[in-house]
Amino acid sequence: MSVTLEQIEHLHRRFKQISGDQPTIRKESFDRIPDLEFNPIRSKIVRAFFDKRNLRQAPDGLADEINFEDFLTIMSYFRPIEMNMDEEQLDHFRKEKLKCETSQETPAQGSPVFEGGLHRHPAPPALSLIPYICILFHMYDSDNDGKITLQEYRKVVEELLSRNPHLEKESARSIADGAMMEAASICVGQMEPDQVYEGITFEDFLKMWQGIDIDTKMHVRFLNMEPIAHCH
Amino acid sequence: MGCRCPRLPAGPLVLLLAWLLEPGAVSAVSEAAMGTASPDPGSSGTLQPPSGTPLEETRLHVFTLDYPHVQIPFEITLWILLASLAKIGFHLYYKLPSIVPESCLLILVGLLLGGIIFGAEEKSPPAMKSDVFFLYLLPPIVLDAGYFMPTRLFFENFGTIFWYAVVGTLWNSIGIGLSLFGICQIEIFGLTDITLLQSLLFGSLISAVDPVAVLAVFENIHVNEQLYILVFGESLLNDAITVVLYNLFKTFCQMRTIETIDVFAGIAKFFVVGIGGVLIGIFLGFVAAFTTRFTHKIRVIEPLFVFLYSYLSYITAEMFHLSGIMAITACAMTMNKYVEENVSQKSYTTIKYFMKMLSSVSETLIFIFMGVSTVGKNHEWNWAFVSFTLLFCLIWRALGVFVLTQIINVFRTIPLTFKDQFIIAYGGLRGAICFSLVFLLPVAVIPRKKLFITATIVVIFFTVFIQGITIRPLVEFLDVKRSNKKQPAVGEEIYNRFFDHVKTGIEDVCGHWGHNFWKDKFKKFDNKFLRRLLIRENQPKSSIVSLYKKLEIKHAIEMAESGMISTVPSSASLNDYLEDKVMPLSPAEMDNMREILTKNLYQIRHRTMSYNRHSLAADASEKQAKEILIRRRHSLRESVKKTRSLSRDRLAVTKATRFLSLPKDAKLPEKLRIRNKTSFRVGGADSSDSELELPTTVLNLKPRARKILQDQSQQQPQQQFRMEWRNEVNGDHDGRVDRRVMDNEAQASRGFRQPLLSRPRFGTVSEENLTEDVRSTRPKPPPRIVRWASEAERHKNTSQNQPY
Repeated sequence: MSVTLEQIEHLHRRFKQISGDQPTIRKESFDRIPDLEFNPIRSKIVRAFFDKRNLRQAPDGLADEINFEDFLTIMSYFRPIEMNMDEEQLDHFRKEKLKCETSQETPAQGSPVFEGGLHRHPAPPALSLIPYICILFHMYDSDNDGKITLQEYRKVVEELLSRNPHLEKESARSIADGAMMEAASICVGQMEPDQVYEGITFEDFLKMWQGIDIDTKMHVRFLNMEPIAHCH
Repeated sequence: MGCRCPRLPAGPLVLLLAWLLEPGAVSAVSEAAMGTASPDPGSSGTLQPPSGTPLEETRLHVFTLDYPHVQIPFEITLWILLASLAKIGFHLYYKLPSIVPESCLLILVGLLLGGIIFGAEEKSPPAMKSDVFFLYLLPPIVLDAGYFMPTRLFFENFGTIFWYAVVGTLWNSIGIGLSLFGICQIEIFGLTDITLLQSLLFGSLISAVDPVAVLAVFENIHVNEQLYILVFGESLLNDAITVVLYNLFKTFCQMRTIETIDVFAGIAKFFVVGIGGVLIGIFLGFVAAFTTRFTHKIRVIEPLFVFLYSYLSYITAEMFHLSGIMAITACAMTMNKYVEENVSQKSYTTIKYFMKMLSSVSETLIFIFMGVSTVGKNHEWNWAFVSFTLLFCLIWRALGVFVLTQIINVFRTIPLTFKDQFIIAYGGLRGAICFSLVFLLPVAVIPRKKLFITATIVVIFFTVFIQGITIRPLVEFLDVKRSNKKQPAVGEEIYNRFFDHVKTGIEDVCGHWGHNFWKDKFKKFDNKFLRRLLIRENQPKSSIVSLYKKLEIKHAIEMAESGMISTVPSSASLNDYLEDKVMPLSPAEMDNMREILTKNLYQIRHRTMSYNRHSLAADASEKQAKEILIRRRHSLRESVKKTRSLSRDRLAVTKATRFLSLPKDAKLPEKLRIRNKTSFRVGGADSSDSELELPTTVLNLKPRARKILQDQSQQQPQQQFRMEWRNEVNGDHDGRVDRRVMDNEAQASRGFRQPLLSRPRFGTVSEENLTEDVRSTRPKPPPRIVRWASEAERHKNTSQNQPY
């Protein structure tokens, strides 16, 4: 973990604030963060903390409560990139990538999309970003079948737009549909007329990242974090 | 005064025409022409007046020519025309712009013209007046840059940009100034009369990275956005510091004694100039946004406000000797978002085009004038000074970027790599700003102005030509990450928004007030107050939605341009699948129609250019990408539909009749179709129910359609469908929509289908379509033409009300 000791201390303080000095955090504990309340994808973020895939505990399921170590694990997904990673760290990332892929590949075994997908080699974004993408993928893929289906995608878009009272569900849907089509067009080359695009797999998800300057956009800074923990 | 009239006109006109046609063989003509244009009446004999009848003074003039009356606008028009024609010329040979940046070519044209003028008149051609440059030519370019600035990227990198712009420019100015002063102390070069302040002044003007030159070069090489914004942002922001330094040293040069207080005043002035400019810009930007709130009754002048207010900000700032560039940039960036929502779509397009056009024209003029002004007698060559200036410019720039990056990298989340640093250093192009500033130098204070001019021109030419031409191969060689400028994708926008929220959320969780935190706070403030105040129909809009709408509008516009204007308020959008209930045509019919459409539409559409953010020329690859995307969309629709609604065996049955399963090569019409589909919804028209109201004049396919319909419904086994539909019922089924659809369906069927089919069968078909509509996927609507046909049918039926 490339989180420094200082950061860990800070996070620990924060952890205690959220948990109310308990050893574990439950879902309700996140209610104590007032700013999070307005986040349209609050539930997804909170869920990510309890997702066992992210906690690297199990390929599936939700944890009821997490301890500080788990909290750190989740947080470490968002650490800034290390430019000069040594071999050991690179190794670590590779393993993580494997983990991430296997964790969502297992249920997707035998999926036709995967069979067809082997021959195209996406140049994945920087290796160090994989964990981050991984956690995002898990946020999208709520039923953990290794694919972001249209339903899941729609739900995400609906949530994103949920703060907007003037927007109808319909338009959220159509936007999701449009995005899904884009995804299909990016990920599957020329589609056969009766070919089916079932959902965005992790590989496809990675592929989409090539278009986006991911490393310039990701990552929350922990560095020189000021201890302004605001918990009312 | 009749007699003076006919003598004058031919001169410049003939000259210009001759230049345009055949620059080589022009000297004789031009000399003759210049002769006539000279004020000496004796020389008028060389050229016959082309026409005109000099009459008695008191008489009525049937035909008069009064060139002086129109001289200034006439010449300006000719210059602009010439510049634009030159631009066209470069693009005749398609490879040229990709090898040599346009700016270089324009300078070359300018040099040529300057040479001709110089040869013809034996005196220096008119130099570009600094006033003209700063007051008229520069603002449009900066406005364009500011208005289309990727705001988000800019603010994400703001710290770095600011760092480079302020500290970097200071570093360069002082570094170059001091080291040049050192060189001047060496007696052998004969430069000992240049004082320290003079060399500092020169250093300050030569270190200004020029936004115009940077834009001209970087727009074409497509480095990644972050790099682009760093170089370009720096060139915009360093205006403030350049202006201050320049004025400061100029004043110092004129002063006898300099006290410490003056230095501090200079430092204070920097803040005043920069921040003052920004404040003026922001203020006028808000005023502009507020004004457009009320323009919905007079749409025509909407675009004008954007230009007026931004120009006002520029000249106001200049009036107070603040940074005009900063002001206009701030103004444009402020108003952009709000104006965009207030003005109509047409006005928005007008603004965009007009802005691009203005900036393109000024850019062209600037480079041509730079070339023209170069030729002349105002030069003094000194090998030592010129080459050392160039050397120091390069060295200090490289050093500055390197050192400053080491420092800023500590604070950046994403550090800049060595390659990035190299490109940033290499992209430090000098341009018209240096050029104008050096011409502005007062000769009284700077006796060796000519030397400075020469050195500046050499530096500019070196950076624009050598660096400008080599930067592209270098970028390729170094394998710098390029931007994959593609179609703005809805998906991407969704991801970006998703991240924003995730990042903000995580920052909230870990209690850290970072960049995202403040961004979030600003957004809330923006939504709460600013938007309410500045936007007429205040609806908190999501960037996803607006992008989506924009894309759809774009499709709609393209479609309209292609001549496919239909009065159909199409059910365009993806979520409107009412079209599905229209009857399909046989492949033969489709082929027929396809042929018609191909012949009539495809070509036209290809000829019309699509709007391009960076240049107005159509970009072939982008267009292709778009087409591919559209095609994919189509195929996805098909596949989605199939997964959800068709089992394999049924697929086989329907393949023959359903247009969903058109042969793969059916590309053109598909494209057109999809285009149609994704188009018109946006305009706010609630298209879902408006299907029935349109007139159509397209094709009368009635008899065929009827036949096919019959065929199809006979082919489809009823049982199968039912089961499938039931299996697929899912949760998010909207009852309201359902009813509406059903009503619609019923209506439609009353109009058209009922007489045609026996009851039970019709029921089946209807249900199929209906279920399909309501099921969430709503896969693939059929071609518009088909619908038209059926609608035509429907209309006919309803009006005649006769059974067949």
